[in-house]
Amino acid sequence: MITYLEKPHKKEELEKILNPIVKEWFFSKFKEFSLPQLYGVLEIHNENNILISAETGSTKTLTAFLSILNELINLSENNMLEDKTYAVYISPLKALSNDIFFNLIKPLEEIEKLAEKKFGIRIAVRTGDTTASEKQKMSTKAPHILITTPESLAIVLTSTKFIEHLKSTRYVIIDEIHALADSKRGTHLSLSIERLQALTQEPLTRIGLSATISPLEEVAQFLVGLENGKTRSCKIVDVRFIKKMDLKVISPVPDIINIEPEKLHTEMYNLLDSLIQEHKTTLIFTNTRSATERVVYHLKEKFPQNYTENIGAHHGSLSKEHRFNIEQKLREGKLKVVVCSTSLELGLDIGYIDLVILLGSPKSVARSLQRIGRSGHKLHETSKGRIIVLDRDDLVECSVLLKSALEKKIDKIHIPKNCLDVLAQQIYGIAISNQISYKELYNLVKQAYPYKDLSMTDFREIIEYLSGEYSSLEDRHIYAKIWYDKETGMIGKKGKLARMIYMTNIGTIPDESFISVKIGEQTVGHIDELFLEKLKRGDVFILGGNRYIFLFSRGMTAQVQATVSKLPTIPSWFSEMLPLSFDLAMEIGKFRRLVEEKMLAKRNKEEIIKFILDYLYLDENAANSIYQYFIEQFLYKKEIPNDKKIVIEYCYAGDKKKYVIFHSLYGRRVNDVLSRALAYAISRFQHKDVEIGINDNGFYLSSETNIQATQALSKIKSNELQKIMELAIDKTQVLSRRFRHVATRSLMILREYKGYKKRVGRQQVSSMILMNALKRISPNFSLIKETKREVFEDLMDINNAELVLKNIEEGKIKIKEINTTIPSPFAFNLIIQAHTDIYKIEDKLEFVQRMHNLVMAKIGKEHII
Amino acid sequence: MEILKDIEIVDLALYLKEEKILIIADLHIGQEEAMNKEGILIPRFQFKEIESRLKKILDKLEINKIIINGDLKHEFGIISEQEWRNTLKILDLCLSYAPVILIKGNHDKIIGPIADKRNVQILESYETKEITILHGDKLKEIKTKTLIIGHEHPAIIISDRIRKEKYKCFLKGKWKNKTLIVMPSFNFITEGTDITNQKLLSPFLKNISNFEVYVIEDKVYNFGKLKNLRQSNA
Repeated sequence: MITYLEKPHKKEELEKILNPIVKEWFFSKFKEFSLPQLYGVLEIHNENNILISAETGSTKTLTAFLSILNELINLSENNMLEDKTYAVYISPLKALSNDIFFNLIKPLEEIEKLAEKKFGIRIAVRTGDTTASEKQKMSTKAPHILITTPESLAIVLTSTKFIEHLKSTRYVIIDEIHALADSKRGTHLSLSIERLQALTQEPLTRIGLSATISPLEEVAQFLVGLENGKTRSCKIVDVRFIKKMDLKVISPVPDIINIEPEKLHTEMYNLLDSLIQEHKTTLIFTNTRSATERVVYHLKEKFPQNYTENIGAHHGSLSKEHRFNIEQKLREGKLKVVVCSTSLELGLDIGYIDLVILLGSPKSVARSLQRIGRSGHKLHETSKGRIIVLDRDDLVECSVLLKSALEKKIDKIHIPKNCLDVLAQQIYGIAISNQISYKELYNLVKQAYPYKDLSMTDFREIIEYLSGEYSSLEDRHIYAKIWYDKETGMIGKKGKLARMIYMTNIGTIPDESFISVKIGEQTVGHIDELFLEKLKRGDVFILGGNRYIFLFSRGMTAQVQATVSKLPTIPSWFSEMLPLSFDLAMEIGKFRRLVEEKMLAKRNKEEIIKFILDYLYLDENAANSIYQYFIEQFLYKKEIPNDKKIVIEYCYAGDKKKYVIFHSLYGRRVNDVLSRALAYAISRFQHKDVEIGINDNGFYLSSETNIQATQALSKIKSNELQKIMELAIDKTQVLSRRFRHVATRSLMILREYKGYKKRVGRQQVSSMILMNALKRISPNFSLIKETKREVFEDLMDINNAELVLKNIEEGKIKIKEINTTIPSPFAFNLIIQAHTDIYKIEDKLEFVQRMHNLVMAKIGKEHII
Repeated sequence: MEILKDIEIVDLALYLKEEKILIIADLHIGQEEAMNKEGILIPRFQFKEIESRLKKILDKLEINKIIINGDLKHEFGIISEQEWRNTLKILDLCLSYAPVILIKGNHDKIIGPIADKRNVQILESYETKEITILHGDKLKEIKTKTLIIGHEHPAIIISDRIRKEKYKCFLKGKWKNKTLIVMPSFNFITEGTDITNQKLLSPFLKNISNFEVYVIEDKVYNFGKLKNLRQSNA
C-alpha cells in the first residue's frame, strides 16, 4: 500500500532513537531537525520503505544517512558490527564524491572526533572510475556502506565475492530517483534492486530521494516494486513546496514585437547584466550548449569590465576537468555567474546561488522547479527565479508554466515500461551469477515496477533470443548467451567469456560519437561528430567560452589553435531542444480557449486584459503583449487553436511551396507522431512527398502541390495509429539509430569485445546490417519490437497522440480549416524555427516583424489600438 | 535486359550470349562469421540465400562456363570448417552446371587450396574476343573494347524525403575509350556501397556521373544517368 505521511514525527521521538553521540553531533551542527528529517528518520529506523520528495538542499540525503549512521554506530558500540554490507546508496551521478563527503564521510568523522573513538564503519565508493586495487580491497573486506551507480551495482551483483557481502543488505537508498525513473537507466536499476532483494533474506528497506516530481504514487511504486503481484508498502513524504518561491516572467522590453532586432538583443544582455550585478551569484540555464556558448561570449564582449575570470560555461560537451573546475569555483564563491545548458540541474552541491535565470522556456514545470530550486540552497531561504522570454510564444508558454508552478500543478513523468533490451542484459547478468528456473526468473522480473505487466510472450522471446534460438542448431554455440533446458526449466550462463563480456558491455547509455578537441596533447572539449564534418580548415568556433581555429582532424580528434583576434562562426549544434510536456501543453491550450471564449463573447480589451492578469501571474506589459498576440490571431481568421480545437491552416503565398500548418498544441513528442503518420498517409494515398516541420505548438507539411490534409487526417484512426507508425518509421534514420542503442544494450553488438572497443561509426554500420538480417527472421523480432517501442513511447508520445485522435473521432476536439496567404501569427515561429537558432534573434525577429506587418495590414490596426 | 549488345543482365549476374558464359561477383561467403568474431551476433542466412538465388539463374540458362569475378570468400583470420564447407558447396553447385574459372579478388588470398581441391583455374583476368573480365581492385592494361569488373559492390539510395531505400545496381559507362560495366555483389548482407555519395573503391572509377544505372529488383530498371538521379535525390 502506498500512503502519505500526514504529519511529521515529533522532535522528541527522534531524539529518543538517536544514539547520544549522534544526537550531540547533530545539534552541534544544526539548530533543529529539518522537515524531511522529522518525517523520515524515524520511518527508516522502523524499516519502512519511504519516498521523500523535497527541493534540492532540503537535507534529504542527510536524512537517509543520519538514520543509517545511527544504526551502524549503535551496532558498533554493542560490538555487533559485522563484516558485511548494511546499506547500498545509488546515485545517477558518477562524480558523487562531493555529495558523499558532505553528507556521510564528514559527519562520520565529526561524530568520531566528538566520541573520541573510531567506530570502524567502512564506506566504499564504487563507480566506473574505481581502480582495480580499490575494487579488490572492497571485495575482500566488505564496506558497511557501499556508494555506487546503477551500472556498478549491476556489476557487483554479478561478482562472486561481492554477492556474499550483499546478502545481508538492509537498506537501499536511491538518490535523485526523479532523474532515473524516466529513463532506461532507471529501468535497469529497478531490476538490479530486485536482484539484490532476491539475494537477501529479509525485505530491504528502500529509501527514495527525489526532487519535485509527479505523480509521487507512481514513483513510489517504482521504488518499492511488487511482491506476489501486489505493490509493496511505501510511505510518501511530500515536502515539495516548503521553500518560498519568488518567480517572475520578464521580457527585456515592454513590447517584444515592435522593436529593432539589435535593440532587443542589446536589451536582453543589459537585463542579464543588471540581474547578475544585483545578485551575488547567478546561475543561468539556456537549454542548449550552443546558447550557453553564445551567452558567455556576448556577456564578455559587451561588458568586458564585468566578466573576465568570474564567468564560466558548463555543459556536457566540455571536458570533465573543465566542468569540475567550474563546479569547484562555484562552491568556493569565486564565480559571479555560471551559464549552463541543462547540466547543472542535478544534485551536486554547487554552493551559494541567489538567482537562477532561465533563458527561454524550460518546457516542464518539474524541470523549472528543479532549476529554480538551485537558488537559496538552504531550506528556509527563498528560491528566486526569473524566466526571460524573447518572443510571444515563449511569453505565453512561460506565463502558463509559471501559473502551474505557483499553483503546484506538476507535469507527470513518463516511466518506460517492458524494455526488452534492458531485460535481456539483466537476465544475462542473473544467469551469470547463478542458475535459476524459468518461472522463478519471470516472477523476479515482474517484481520490478516497469515490468509488472510484462507478458509471458515477451519474456519467452527474450529467453529465446538469449539462448540463441534465432540461429540454426549448428551455429547456436556462437549465439547463445545462456542455456535454457526446457525439460528441467532451468537457465544458466553459457561461454567462458560471459562474465567478461557482461562487465565490459553493461549499461544503458549509448556511446555517443564525440570528437575530442585538442591543442597538441591537451583536450579542451568535445564536439559532435557531425559538427566536425562541417568544419573546414581555418574555421573559428567557440567552445567553453574560448575561440579556436580548426586545423585538421585525425580519427576521433580535432586539432585546434586558440585565438583571440579572429571572429567566430557560432556553432550550430544539433537540436538539443527539450520537448514541452503534454500536461503543460494542455494547460496552455486551456488558457488559449478561455481567451478565445472571451473574444467570441465580444468582451472588450480591458476586460480581457483583466482576465489575463487574474489568470496568470504577470505584469500589465506582459498581459498586454499576450492580448495583442491573441487578438491579432483572432481578428485575422477568427480561430484561436486550443486544447479542444485543432486549426488546419492552408497557407499558399503564391510562390512554389504550399504549407499546411496544423495548430496542434500538444508538445513535440505528440506532434512528431501526428506529423509522421499524416505524411505517411499523404504519400500513400495522394502519392505525394511532403516536407515536415514540427515544434511544440504544431507542425507543418509542405509540398509544391495541394495537400488534402483533412482527408489524410480522417484516414488515421486512433486504433490503427500504431500500425501506420510502424510503416511510417520503417527505414528511417531514427529507427536505425535507436536500433543501434537497443542492439548494444541487449549485447547483440558488443561495444567492447576481447579487449577491443568498437567506434560508434562501426557500431552503427553493423547495427544496420544486423537489423536487416533480423527482419528476415521476423519483422517483429523482439529487439526490433523494442526499438519501435522506444521510439514510439519514450522518444515520441504515441499514447497521447492516440488520445488526441480519439478525441477528434469522438468530437471532443474539433477541426477547423482556414486559408491564408500570409501565415497567421500563431504560425510564424513554426515556419521559421527549422532555420534558426534560438538566440540568433536578429534574423528571426526580422522575419516575424515582416510577417506581423503584413498581417496587421490585413486586419487593420484600428481594431487593436 | 541487355546492358550491351549480347551481354544480358540476369538477376545479379551477367550472361554473355554468344559464349554462353555466366559471370557473378563478390559472394563474400563467410562474412557473417567475420562479424561474429568481432562480437556482432548477426545470424547466418547468407549461404542459403546465395545458393537458392544462384540455382534459379543456373536453371534457366544454357551455360558453357561460369566465371566468379573475385571475392568468392570473405577472408578474415582463421577460417572455420563450416566456412570451408560452404565455399566448396557453392563451387560444387556451379561445377554441376559448367566448368568454373575463378578470377582473383582482393579478398581471395587463400582461395588457392579450395581451387586446387576441385581442380579449378584461378586467373587474374579472363578475355574473350571483345571483353575482359577482371575483379577491378587494381588497374591493368585492357586490350578489348569492353571490360567487366566487380569489387565496387555498387548500390544506389533512392529517396523521397521521408524514406530511403537502397538497391543493388549495375553501372555502365566509359573508362578511357572503352565500355566499362560494373557488377553488383552476389552478397546479401548489405546491398552495397551507395554510389551517390560514398567514396569509390576501384581505380577504374573516377567520375561516374555519366554512368548509366540499372537497378535490380524484381526485374531490371534502367534509371538513366547517375547525374540525373543525384539531382532528383537532392
